[in-house]
Amino acid sequence: MSAISELSSLSRRKGKATAEEKKANGRDNKAAYIFLLPWLVGLVAITIGPMVMSLYLSFTDYNLLQPPEWTGADNFIRMLSDARLHNSLRVTFTYVFVGVPLQLAVALLIALVLDKGLRGLPFYRSVFYLPSLLGGSVAVAILWKQIFGTTGLVNQVLAMFGIEGPGWISDPGTALGSIILLHVWTFGAPMIIFLAGLRQIPVMYYEAAKVDGASTLQQFWRITMPMLSPIIFFNLVLQIIGSFQSFTQAFIVSGGNGGPSDSTMFFTLYLYQKGFGQFDMGYASAMAWVLLLIIGVFTAINFIASKYWVFYDD
Amino acid sequence: MPLFPRPAAARQPAETPSSRPARRFRKTGAVAAAAAVVMALSACGGGSAPQSADGTVELRFSWWGGDKRAQLTQEAIKQFEAENPKIKIKPEFGDWSGYWDKLATQVAANDAPDIIQMDEKYITEYSSRGALLDLSKYDIDTSKLDEAALNAGKGDDGLTGIPAGINAATILANPKVFEAAGVPLPDDSKWTWEDFGRIAAEVTEKSPKGTYGAAAYGTDEASLGVWLRQNGKSLYTSDGKLGFEPSDISEWWAFLKELSKNKAVPSASEVVEAEAAPLDQSGLATGKNGLAFWWSNQAPALEKASGADLKILRFPSKTGSSADAGLWYKASQFWSASSRTKHPEETAKFINFLANNVKAGETLLADRGVYPNAEVRAAIESKLTPADVKVVKFIDQIKDELGEAPAPPPKGAGAIQEIIKRYTSEVLFERLSTDEAGKKAVDEMKSAISS
Repeated sequence: MSAISELSSLSRRKGKATAEEKKANGRDNKAAYIFLLPWLVGLVAITIGPMVMSLYLSFTDYNLLQPPEWTGADNFIRMLSDARLHNSLRVTFTYVFVGVPLQLAVALLIALVLDKGLRGLPFYRSVFYLPSLLGGSVAVAILWKQIFGTTGLVNQVLAMFGIEGPGWISDPGTALGSIILLHVWTFGAPMIIFLAGLRQIPVMYYEAAKVDGASTLQQFWRITMPMLSPIIFFNLVLQIIGSFQSFTQAFIVSGGNGGPSDSTMFFTLYLYQKGFGQFDMGYASAMAWVLLLIIGVFTAINFIASKYWVFYDD
Repeated sequence: MPLFPRPAAARQPAETPSSRPARRFRKTGAVAAAAAVVMALSACGGGSAPQSADGTVELRFSWWGGDKRAQLTQEAIKQFEAENPKIKIKPEFGDWSGYWDKLATQVAANDAPDIIQMDEKYITEYSSRGALLDLSKYDIDTSKLDEAALNAGKGDDGLTGIPAGINAATILANPKVFEAAGVPLPDDSKWTWEDFGRIAAEVTEKSPKGTYGAAAYGTDEASLGVWLRQNGKSLYTSDGKLGFEPSDISEWWAFLKELSKNKAVPSASEVVEAEAAPLDQSGLATGKNGLAFWWSNQAPALEKASGADLKILRFPSKTGSSADAGLWYKASQFWSASSRTKHPEETAKFINFLANNVKAGETLLADRGVYPNAEVRAAIESKLTPADVKVVKFIDQIKDELGEAPAPPPKGAGAIQEIIKRYTSEVLFERLSTDEAGKKAVDEMKSAISS
């Protein structure tokens, strides 16, 4: 059958075929939906449903024990004059804007070292990745608390040199720093991604640069960084979103109260306290939507800014 | 050719033979969908007190407390189940700090335990919002319970809590620490706050590094309550307002700062760390503090943890007379019931057992305070451990020195402790002056109990 005759036979069949095909299509779709059902039920019942509910609750006064009462934008107006909320924003922003760049820098540095073709690379890769698996966990947060306590490991080591360290996590001046350190320590996930990205950069660029007499530093800035920029961007977006939401470390290390003196009172922790500790679920829901907005804005900024520094090789 | 050719069978016009399987398929799909929805819903519902075919009722009972309390309480549950084979009690227990978050969530999710161990700080919060059962409508004998303790569980919403024990705010002393420092134990019948500070500083001075004469106060409202009462004020007024001024709490912090300056109490960092420690790792239990602020019923557990023969002391006073110490009897905890329990009769039966049955008394002893039921208290006297006996003696000893019963904590009082704690560390770390802290704390407390 020639191409032309097939075309004509197709067009001839068209009217009839659509009805049949629609039927077949519909049947296929139905099967697909049925297979999707468990996920769909989960999405609706566990994600979308609660989200819609929390949007509604954010405009109400809801104390968990009695039905919510509509109060309009009252919760959002209250936020403007809530000094503890402003403090929690400051703490969270500090955590994100100090913790994320530091963590990515460390991840990149280690990835660069590992990329040099170390012997026993898989072993080191696993070792460096380990903290990422553990770092978010309750157990490690408890361990952290012990290490950085007044009589913890860090101060014991310092004492050997005659230095009397502060109670790192119980002093308002150093508590947030200790939690940022815990975050930086979990550099494994971005490191693995960096390592994969580094492997993608063709060796010929470096060879050509070497022939032209470029120093290692020049190679890094002129070849590695531009070639790796999409990966950096990816890590940056993920880490910023994740860091805005982090909760466990601060919750465990501060014993759930964001102390001392609110110095580790993350936005999420304050949200939790308001909702579950102080029976102010309406306010907590409103806070959740503010957090969503903040994350949305920063992700948008990230994407807009990426046009100016991320280099796509195609 | 189409890009993704469909298999020939799908395009076949002859649909008749496949229509039956298709319908069956649809049916299976619907069943699967229904099953998925049911599963999802039942996961949310959480089995609240199911009743099985043979008429056995299962009740959930939740409390906060340590290991010792868990053992004793489970023992009491067994006694009850032996007497009432048709009722099963499922225990749920945990630490104080997580208890209230969990309870709030459970109540909101319509999944509250049937029997709830309740604290005076939260009872108004829950009862005024209709979450607790009015127990006066059920068959619970309250005739033999201590009247003051019983009244503490009564409110506008009826009798929502049966007292589980009687308590008093105390200072516990670890004689081992005093002996090691070579300092005699204070005479609590006539000591003043100045004595307290002087003695504690002396113990610190004569003890190895890291041991302090006293734990810091300022981590809960009991010690503030005592201080205020001694100054003619109170935490709350009977109409549910704050009973003190910013200057009152500033003075309290100023004295704490002085204690801290003289090293009578641990450093600011250590105070913050101690807040988070559970009872058996507290400064008193580990022998790091000579004196510490605790409720009387906690003495036996602390004695067990510390391995020392602890002494129960009255609070110091301003005048040096124990009659001015301003102590009071507190209902240590309440037995409350969820207003949504499906089995109020059985729930009341269990609470009645806990409050009035000698067998329950013989197992629980004085862990939740001295028994409010005078008959049970007398019946179990011989069974009490030496530590329990000390507690009972102390409670009897201060009977004639008690001040007026304090006003019950109003709605929102659950937030007060956290506010006190936070500003105490602001003061100890010198981030705020005592005056500023007083003003800010009082503002925050006012808004917490007015909302």
